[in-house]
Amino acid sequence: MAPILEVKDVTKTYRMGNVYVSALKGVSFTIEEGEFVAILGPSGSGKSTLLHVIGGIDRPNEGTVFIDSVDIFTLNSNRLAEVRLHKIGFVFQFFNLLSRLTALKNVELPLILADLTEKEATEKAQKLLELVGLGERMHHRPTELSGGEQQRVAIARALINDPKIVLADEPTGNLDTKTGWEIVELMKRLNTEKGQTFITVTHDPSIAEHADRIIYLKDGSIEGIKRGVRKNET
Amino acid sequence: MRLKQTVGIAWQNMKHRRFRTTLTTLGVVIGVTAIIALASLGEGFRFAVKIRMEQGFELDVLTVIPGSLFAGLSRIRFTDAQIENVSQIPDVEIATGIMQMGNVTLYNGDKKASAFVATAVNFTEFKQIYSNRLGEYTEGEWPKRPQNNSIILGYNINYHNETAPFAHAGDNITVKLLKGFTLYPIYEYYNFTVTGILQKKGTPGLTNFDYWVFIPLETGQKIYGLEGKDYADLIFARVSSPDVSEDAAKQIEELFPPYQVSILVPITFIRQVDNILNLVQLFLTSIAAISLLVAGIGIMNIMTVSVMERTREIGIIKAIGAKERTILTMFLGEALLIGLMGGLIGILSGYGFAQLFSIILSRFMTRQQSTDTAFPSPETQQATTVNPVFSLEWTIGALIFGVLICVIFGWYPARKAAKLDPVKALRYE
Repeated sequence: MAPILEVKDVTKTYRMGNVYVSALKGVSFTIEEGEFVAILGPSGSGKSTLLHVIGGIDRPNEGTVFIDSVDIFTLNSNRLAEVRLHKIGFVFQFFNLLSRLTALKNVELPLILADLTEKEATEKAQKLLELVGLGERMHHRPTELSGGEQQRVAIARALINDPKIVLADEPTGNLDTKTGWEIVELMKRLNTEKGQTFITVTHDPSIAEHADRIIYLKDGSIEGIKRGVRKNET
Repeated sequence: MRLKQTVGIAWQNMKHRRFRTTLTTLGVVIGVTAIIALASLGEGFRFAVKIRMEQGFELDVLTVIPGSLFAGLSRIRFTDAQIENVSQIPDVEIATGIMQMGNVTLYNGDKKASAFVATAVNFTEFKQIYSNRLGEYTEGEWPKRPQNNSIILGYNINYHNETAPFAHAGDNITVKLLKGFTLYPIYEYYNFTVTGILQKKGTPGLTNFDYWVFIPLETGQKIYGLEGKDYADLIFARVSSPDVSEDAAKQIEELFPPYQVSILVPITFIRQVDNILNLVQLFLTSIAAISLLVAGIGIMNIMTVSVMERTREIGIIKAIGAKERTILTMFLGEALLIGLMGGLIGILSGYGFAQLFSIILSRFMTRQQSTDTAFPSPETQQATTVNPVFSLEWTIGALIFGVLICVIFGWYPARKAAKLDPVKALRYE
């Protein structure tokens, strides 16, 4: 079976003033459907850039990304937006919820973008919020929620369109240790229950340990790929 | 994303920034108000002027003048045969010749009155032409079988002195007429019997009968020694409808050698005046439209700021899968809603302002008139009352213009939002 994700020779260079910074230097790997993968590396190693490229919100200078065997960077911006909407879910370190909308409305947003009616969207979003344990808090705005709760909303939003891949950028980075673990547990549970592929970026080895595989990134290159504890568990 | 939901989100965003939205909308409101107020007042003014002109000029009566209007003493006179030719034109219902004598003074015992002109008319034909203006009398009536010495007095001639009328129907009066010049003007006195005194009409046009007196045409000709020569100073011709008056005028002109007659066609006057007023109205409305343009720049300004403030939000929405088109529609939706709201409120307040202004104007003018006007009459008061006219074309036009301005000026910031790089937008603090 073809891998769900194939990253092929991805190079990304930023220009900062007059200096060019290589964030990614020919990164290649594949990920199978249903895997829980951690990308581990110190800050500045290019983890977030890699995640943005995989998610199709940043274009590589060279190389490309195949999602479901589709080269996403041959698509025009509209098609790429559709890929982001239907095949990818994003979870950010700073949650990135829309502060004016309630938790429910935040989760509904991708469904609304996908042309569902308000009623359909609400029903689906409510179910998912209950699944992530926010059944009681769904009518609150992000500012009225704790960090852990906000991240649960963000995870629900990422999962709402049943994407093939969920990309999480330091999802525990802004949470205390206990809450961070709860989020990791939640992601692992959803990965098992829903069979979606999770790729999470982290600089915390103890969290990475719980993945099926760990991709070590340093200075824009892959240093090594290792099996995580989770595979050992099973 | 469905349009309804896009507009819904736009509405939410506007509600969220209520004060800013209100101020931005206010710009549009002021612009549309100015356009509607000026347009409806202008339209009302045009209408009022038109009504007054139509009352002042008999639209279906043409006046044939020998030579030009300013020819003075070099005028030729018309013969009965010429008048007959004019009346033969298919569109002309009736044509009649008249003579006019200036410097008229009337005496009734020790009472004295003056008139602009004494007009010698064929009583039967003249009545047919001006039937609606010669129908009412304070005393007496239009002579059915006129005698050589019948005279009809205009209202202001008889009631110049309000306490004591100059004459009553049946009174015998003496009329002093200028007969000609040698070294000095030559006046002569003639006796007439008052058959009727006209009701006040007070029309401000060329033919204000309030200041006229009428005597039989034959008498006039006799006074000037033109008896039996069928001569008249002017021809009044009534056409079947005002619409054919210009055509008829052309046909009348063709009856005479070139440059021998001029024809006053009231509808041409009115059209000319209407054209001028139309231009003035357009000019004023264009100035108002500029204020809407300023509002448009305000919208552009505010929306650019709004896009900057919402950079991160736009980045998030794009990252979770919004197309550029969706972002564009969301922002344009805001501009559209501002335009629609501002336009609708502007239309209402525009008509409100116009109404208010017309009330103030009419009060002001009434006060002015009671002190300033030389000839106060209820009719002239009417003329200065301008009622704003509701025009569907202007209303729809102003609304479309308002919305269009908003969308055009909203386009640039909306596009800027749509084109934002999501990665940069997500990093934006």
